[in-house]
Amino acid sequence: MSKNILKICIGTPCHLMGAANLLESVEKFDCKLRQKIELKTSHCIDNCCDQAPVAEFNGKVYQNLNPEKLYKIIRENIK
Amino acid sequence: MELVFEEFYRSIPKAGEEVCGDSVEIIKKRNKTIVVLSDGLGSGIKANILSTLTAKIASGLLEKELPLKEILSTILATLPVCEVRGIAYATLVFLIIDQNQQLRLIEIDSPSAFLFRNKQVQKLDYREFELEGKKIREANFKFQRQDQLFLVSDGVTHAGIGGLLNFGLGWEGVACEIERVVKRSQTDLKNNINKLVKVFNTFYGDQAGDDFTIIGMKYRRKRKLNIWSGPPLKKENDSLLARKISEAEGKKIISGGTTAQIAARELNRDLEVGLKYYDRDIPPISKMDGIELLTEGLLTLNRVLSMLKKYKPGQIPVEGKDGASRFTRLLLESDSVKFLVGRAVNESHQSLNLPINLGIRSQIISQIAEQLRRIKKKVEIEWF
Repeated sequence: MSKNILKICIGTPCHLMGAANLLESVEKFDCKLRQKIELKTSHCIDNCCDQAPVAEFNGKVYQNLNPEKLYKIIRENIK
Repeated sequence: MELVFEEFYRSIPKAGEEVCGDSVEIIKKRNKTIVVLSDGLGSGIKANILSTLTAKIASGLLEKELPLKEILSTILATLPVCEVRGIAYATLVFLIIDQNQQLRLIEIDSPSAFLFRNKQVQKLDYREFELEGKKIREANFKFQRQDQLFLVSDGVTHAGIGGLLNFGLGWEGVACEIERVVKRSQTDLKNNINKLVKVFNTFYGDQAGDDFTIIGMKYRRKRKLNIWSGPPLKKENDSLLARKISEAEGKKIISGGTTAQIAARELNRDLEVGLKYYDRDIPPISKMDGIELLTEGLLTLNRVLSMLKKYKPGQIPVEGKDGASRFTRLLLESDSVKFLVGRAVNESHQSLNLPINLGIRSQIISQIAEQLRRIKKKVEIEWF
């Protein structure tokens, strides 16, 4: 089973806009889902800080996130 | 080899009290260090005010370099005397150590100092004399490279009363504990003080029966710290800065996510970004070979600044595993600090509408430098 890679930006703007909440929400995913995801953090993804917080899931960048949006994205795109 | 005199103290208030009746003042001058310890009679706020008063007067007079006799008689004449008990409200110990390692210690009404030399604790050779009707002990000696000196308030020598022991530890008992703890690790003074505080607190059964303070002093090598924060204005300086930080002598900190990315690229090293939040306001730290600490930029620096503002010389640096606490600890543990500051503006921050004082890196670093100078650290800043 190939792992799905989730990268969350923890640069200053993303942090201020709630990156910590995103990280926390991922830890709260149910076990089955959480196991399929490899969680990483990063400094600045794709230089789009004005659209913070930003995350990258399986190579695609998503902006302006919140925990609900992130969950939806992961649900829809998980391999 | 350059040596510096380092000192740490901790004061523990009597159980149930908010403030400690012991006061410590440490003054660092270019060529000497002055340490003053005063213990107010009783405990609580009254004792705190009296000991603060005494310590402040003493350190103020000592700083002005008046003759010692004059200082002593001024202090003794001004020290309030308890009407009921007929004794002075506060005890006083002070010591002055100069560049030639010559140490002078004066004690009034307080337990004698503990000198750790050649793996054992000894009593100093005192000369006793009387001034203003007070018995005063004075010791003069050369403080050696490997020596460690401990000053305590009487709360320490009385440790155990009403707890584990009938009559308290006494001088010998305290000497024994200090010897045991210091022998185990002679280099880490800060840690030893913390351990000793725990030991004495245990003798009291974790309910200190009196305020107690312990100060430790020793010599150590000078420590250097280098900090790189912010990308340079000119992009061609990236590699220059990366080389400068990796070749610098001493410990190294990189502050700023973008800066860390530049360093990783220029030095061709892996950057491992952390996941763990120890403090929700401070983004996680990262890891890179050869760099002691990598933190986020602005928020961490702001927190560092506010922690430095609260710091009093001699205190044991802040605990905590988050980036800002680690940063502050490294700053406080070093003697000379060199900042390499890049002034490039992070476009993304502009879109956030940050308050002005939070947003400008150069300002925060200047303020940090100012705080470091206040506690007598050597600071150098290079702008790029």
